[in-house]
Amino acid sequence: MPATHHVFRAQLTSARRREGFIFFLFGAATYFVLLCGAVVIGTIVVRGAGTVFQARAPFINTTFFTEAPESLHVFQYQGRKMELGDAAFRTFEAAHPDVAKGKSDSYVYSAGGIFPCIVGTVLLVVGSMAIALTLGVCAAIYLNEYARDGTFIRFVRLAILNLAGVPSIVFGLFGFGMFVIFFGWNVSLLAGWFTLAFMVLPVIITASEESLKAVPKGFREGSLALGATKWQTIIKNVLPYALPGILTSSILGIARVAGETAPIMFTAAYVVRDKLPWQVDKFSDFFFQGVMALPYHIYVVSSKIPQNEYTERVQYGTAFVFLLIVALIATASIVLRNRLRNRYKW
Amino acid sequence: MEASSPASHLLVNKSRIRLFGLSFDDCIRVFFGGNAIVSIIVLALITYFLFREGAGFFGQNRQNLTVYRQAGLEYIDFIRAQQDDHTALTRYLSDLRLRQFRHYTQEAKLPVADANAKLAVFDDFAGQFGDTVEPIRTLVSDLTEQASAIKEKFTVMEDKKEERRQLMAEGRKGDADRVIITPVNFAEELKPIIGTLPAYKEASAEFSRRIEQVLATAPVLPTPELQVRMDRFKQLTREYLSGFPAVVSHLESWDYAKPVPAVQALTSFIFGREWLTASFWQDWYGVIPLLVGSLMVSAVALLLAVPLGVGAAIYVNQIATPAEQKFIKPGIEFISAIPSVVLGFFGIAVLGQALRALSQASWLSWVPGFPYSERLNILTAGCLLALMAVPTIFTLAEDALNNVPRAFKEASFALGATRLQTVIKIIVPASLSGIISAVLLGLGRVIGETMVVLLCAGNRIAIPDFSAGLAVVTQPVHTMTGIIAQEMGEVVQGSIHYRALFVVGILLFFLSLGINYVAQIVVRRYRISIG
Amino acid sequence: MVITAPILMDTLPSAPTIRPATAPAPAATAPAGQAAPAAETLIDIDHVDFFYGQSQALHDVSLQIEDKKVTAFIGPSGCGKSTLLRCLNRMNDLIDGTRVAKGSIKIRGVDIHQADVDVIELRKRVGMVFQKSNPFPKSIYENITFGLRLQGVTNKARLDEVVEKSLRGAALWDEVKDRLNASGLGLSGGQQQRLCIARAIAVEPEVILMDEPCSALDPVATAKVEELIQELRTRFTIVIVTHNMQQAARCSDKTAFFYMGKLIEYADTRNIFTNPANAQTEAYVSGRFG
Repeated sequence: MPATHHVFRAQLTSARRREGFIFFLFGAATYFVLLCGAVVIGTIVVRGAGTVFQARAPFINTTFFTEAPESLHVFQYQGRKMELGDAAFRTFEAAHPDVAKGKSDSYVYSAGGIFPCIVGTVLLVVGSMAIALTLGVCAAIYLNEYARDGTFIRFVRLAILNLAGVPSIVFGLFGFGMFVIFFGWNVSLLAGWFTLAFMVLPVIITASEESLKAVPKGFREGSLALGATKWQTIIKNVLPYALPGILTSSILGIARVAGETAPIMFTAAYVVRDKLPWQVDKFSDFFFQGVMALPYHIYVVSSKIPQNEYTERVQYGTAFVFLLIVALIATASIVLRNRLRNRYKW
Repeated sequence: MEASSPASHLLVNKSRIRLFGLSFDDCIRVFFGGNAIVSIIVLALITYFLFREGAGFFGQNRQNLTVYRQAGLEYIDFIRAQQDDHTALTRYLSDLRLRQFRHYTQEAKLPVADANAKLAVFDDFAGQFGDTVEPIRTLVSDLTEQASAIKEKFTVMEDKKEERRQLMAEGRKGDADRVIITPVNFAEELKPIIGTLPAYKEASAEFSRRIEQVLATAPVLPTPELQVRMDRFKQLTREYLSGFPAVVSHLESWDYAKPVPAVQALTSFIFGREWLTASFWQDWYGVIPLLVGSLMVSAVALLLAVPLGVGAAIYVNQIATPAEQKFIKPGIEFISAIPSVVLGFFGIAVLGQALRALSQASWLSWVPGFPYSERLNILTAGCLLALMAVPTIFTLAEDALNNVPRAFKEASFALGATRLQTVIKIIVPASLSGIISAVLLGLGRVIGETMVVLLCAGNRIAIPDFSAGLAVVTQPVHTMTGIIAQEMGEVVQGSIHYRALFVVGILLFFLSLGINYVAQIVVRRYRISIG
Repeated sequence: MVITAPILMDTLPSAPTIRPATAPAPAATAPAGQAAPAAETLIDIDHVDFFYGQSQALHDVSLQIEDKKVTAFIGPSGCGKSTLLRCLNRMNDLIDGTRVAKGSIKIRGVDIHQADVDVIELRKRVGMVFQKSNPFPKSIYENITFGLRLQGVTNKARLDEVVEKSLRGAALWDEVKDRLNASGLGLSGGQQQRLCIARAIAVEPEVILMDEPCSALDPVATAKVEELIQELRTRFTIVIVTHNMQQAARCSDKTAFFYMGKLIEYADTRNIFTNPANAQTEAYVSGRFG
């Protein structure tokens, strides 16, 4: 008797075929999403690489990273097409008085670099994360270590949950109404810091609380049973073990802070600013100055100025650098998280 | 006993430092508690400052509507509406001409010149119909000037009042007294406008007579199908004519002094179908076009994101091999880290054009709305927002699927169910509440997203034309988030426009709170009890 | 391969003859305890009612724990023995909604629930060892010195001395003396539990509370911990909660049997196991329920 004729022989029934087809669809959906993400990132990387890298040593377009945005002048000179940034164009004009005036086309923001934007973004991220981490970690400690269930805590949790759902543009309006107008801080770093910090606060609190929860109860009880005060227990025996988790999860918060445009549009970002943030008369001015920021710069160059082949370079270049920074932050968080997970096991 | 006394000493708390009756540990507790309250405070502050800046809108809007009435703008808009309706009819005619032209060139294969020649009669008819409105048009343009002048006078008076108030505030009473305020006597100013009523009646009668005349000369169209449209046009025109007496009675009963009810300041915002600012005539702050825009974009985004996100979650959770899971999950998480402004830029630079090019491909012409010409529209923005919403939906839905006890799955398999049957009949229903709340949170994310819609939705402030059916998604719209981001930087602080943007913000704020709330309710109420 | 306490206990009914043989053991190993006629009462538990929220966990429990003795709390799961133990150094404060509704617990005459009692001071004097060993993820040395450092002791020589003394006291010194800076988490389960005991005795408490200290250990490690308890009894008052009746019989001087939140019987261990006054106690120790 042939072996294939037993009762359990697999048959290609219509149900099985349908199953195969539907599972294929699910798989296709998954890979389609990944493909879309890859296309977005790939396009920007490939086209941005042209601006950021160059064929000659040092292979990286240092001008793009170290200088401020300038207008680009394109003109014909002795039969050659010249492309010069604003400053270079002026020296060139001085040296070659025969350059026909008015014959050059100029394109705003298309030359120079994005150094002030990088600086501004870094300042915004550092300041707002400092505020958000302080507030968020302390709040998480309260919620996880001190709080006992009750109406008050339910309210706090509800507030955190709801705060997480507030659109970023509403945070922008709030920051504008409170810090810029009511406190009179104008468009400033300080206003941007607080707006971004409040926006990212729920993320930080949730991440910190999870890390604190992951610290075994035995650590606390053991410490308390040895006569440690609650404060000593938290400082010596809970926070040190939760801190790596808090920091890595918070890096995702950094990615969000760095990536948001809407909250800083009216609170901290300038379209263009000649001075760098540290070029201030007195120390306190530092906090009350607006800055340029990468995401806002992308918005400006991609929608506020006339589009042409020259602006495209700076658009893709800025987007690439921005994506690179955010991707680095995100990857760092994932790698760190995995490493710490392996190191701290209890 | 010698041991007992030191023991009681040690147990009793005496030496600890106290501050306001609180021990050191209590102080720390209070400090941390203070931080926990911050989120409540922030939420309260958001509400407070949105209302602080936005609440003034309703008073100003009522004033805005009052001036609209008192300066006679409302009166003139009755007549203008008549003119606009006529314009709509002429547009119907030009559409009809296009259809005929297509018929002649494509089906009858006539050369363009011949086709145009064939249409000469129709063109003559359409031209005459278009001219009929002339008497009304002249009247409206005269009246417009007069009403604008009255409104201008009123604005000047308000400015002077403001100037004087400021001078008084600065304590310069002398200067303040020198500011001359000439009150506007609306009754007097309006007389010439209202006085045109007989002239209007005459013009209107003339208008209606001319339409009748022209209508009688309507040509017969070549195909029955086109003739049906012509008949439809005639019917529409008759309906239009029958509306004339109503306009007259509106004009006759119109009273400039009739107060604008306070609630209208609110209803004209919530139900207003026009968002028109910095207009020479009258500003309107109706949120409907923006709300519809936001909802349309979100609907398209969710329509794409829900199947993809939930499908991917089911795939990863139930079907994928561990090796696949290892790169799919971080991959999708990584997509969520792409900043929205970068996605928006991608939409402007690449996706808009790509989709339009796709729509012009001949093999896709059966798709409703294809081909289209607007590069930035609901579809473009919706696609990008879908990409933003997928990671949110995926992560939360995957969590929900993960929470279904293994026992359910095993029991189902033990009964001889296939994997598909298990997924559809057991796993998905058991985690449905989680999936629904994932979708709702995805909606919250999408509706509150700013940069993508600002860059890619097309920014045309109008209610999309739903009569186009599914093709509506190829129209540009503006959104609530987009309008705030776009106009906030350009408005005068404290102006009605500025406050209107804050009111849009309030609406957005409560909308997102509402979505959040429903998501929580869904999770709480329909959670299956596990263990 | 871990043989847990309940399994050991399950062997009891099938071999009831073992019981009389093991029961006299405490008497044999602790003649000193017997010789001291008037043991001093250290902890006086007086008519205590205890609640978790709405549910009452202890009903009118009264007993006196004697100084420098080993007292065992036995009883089926959920009988309130652990709850009472955690009351003794107020670890229950950490759980929401718990309260002592009635009665008092006095240590050397001081009511420990009194408002002016410093709970930190209390816990220094009443140490605790937990069911699941919980060494901190620090070095062995740091684990032992944790309590002393909290009290501000920084003198290296003093700390070294205490570490050695505590580890010797916990019978762990020989096993770990060469790797004091290794992580406490690297030790075996039994060693971890002894490390926790060493950590507890390093702060020189008067009382050590042990909450099922051997329930997660294999028989060999259990035997070591039991040996250790025998050694510690001369220096500390020990209260041990256990599921394992043989353990109670082997290590303790006095035994309290709890059932449904009530103290059923409290007497010398020998009496509880050989001649219980109460029928429920009799049923439990002979393995007929629990």
